[in-house]
Amino acid sequence: MKSASETDRLLIKRIRSGDGDAWGDLISRYEGRLLAFVESRIGRRAASEDIVQEAFVGFLTSLPNYDGRRSLESYLFSICAYKLTDHMRREGRRPALPLSAGADSGGEWQLASSARGASSIARSGERRNLEETAIVEALQQQVSRWKERGDWVKLQCIELLFVRGWANKEVAGELSITEQQVANYKFDFLARMRAIVRKQGLSEDIFPEIYSE
Amino acid sequence: MASKFTHADLEAYLDEALVPTEMSEIESQLRTDVQLGRELAAINARRDAGVHTLGEIWRRQRISCPTREQLGSFLLGALAPEQADYIAFHIEKAGCRFCRANHDDLKAQQEEANDAVATRRKKYFQSSAGYLRK
Repeated sequence: MKSASETDRLLIKRIRSGDGDAWGDLISRYEGRLLAFVESRIGRRAASEDIVQEAFVGFLTSLPNYDGRRSLESYLFSICAYKLTDHMRREGRRPALPLSAGADSGGEWQLASSARGASSIARSGERRNLEETAIVEALQQQVSRWKERGDWVKLQCIELLFVRGWANKEVAGELSITEQQVANYKFDFLARMRAIVRKQGLSEDIFPEIYSE
Repeated sequence: MASKFTHADLEAYLDEALVPTEMSEIESQLRTDVQLGRELAAINARRDAGVHTLGEIWRRQRISCPTREQLGSFLLGALAPEQADYIAFHIEKAGCRFCRANHDDLKAQQEEANDAVATRRKKYFQSSAGYLRK
């Protein structure tokens, strides 16, 4: 997991003690990328600036919950995404989702009890974070190795398969490689992920896609 | 009717991490496509039940994202061709919203008038500094 840089850690420390100059530095450092993130979605400069403004206020009010293990940029983007989603809902551009997936679509994933308490969900959140941390390091090591070796096609292949969810055939066409090569890269990658899950003592049930091939 | 969006696309939509044109397409389709709404609700239910996907972890943890310095070098044309090709792929084909935002910001910094940036930063500061710990 990418954590906050040393510069960001020092900034946060100063901001926590009420240092206005540090707060100004953080704004200068991050506002441009947050504005670009929001503006690419809603296209209006004034409204985008309002959302970034709300995100900065949101950051200060949530600062006691920021633990520094997560990168500051990712944390700010997540607050901005939340404010953006909220804005889109208020404008009626982002439709509300049904509360239930319905019996004919993924009903097997419905929770056993609809009266599940907030504390139970919070505990699940903590467990999910631990499980995620266990696999993040393995993913980062794998990607670093590909980058160091110049295995750019392998990296692109796995990114299209798992981050975009493309089919083997589409990936092969995009990267000008054979479907067999895509299948081989996928097989090797999944084998490595399965080994990590086993080594970390994680349940197979929480990473079903790794075992679906 | 099965949606034309992949499962990974729908996860990215829920996280506000899909490319803006596809975010809008999903929002538009959601108005008439009940099944699409159910697919999204099913993803939320799976997440709530504790199921992970590699794609969502990869995206959220920025597993393959270049650094901001590398994006700056990319804009200056100062990277090795293979690395530059990968960054172009990551932004255009993998559709990384966060790297796109950094890229667009760095590009804007080269073009935007300094006084406009200073005015904006001052506005953010004045509207939020009251929340600093006293």
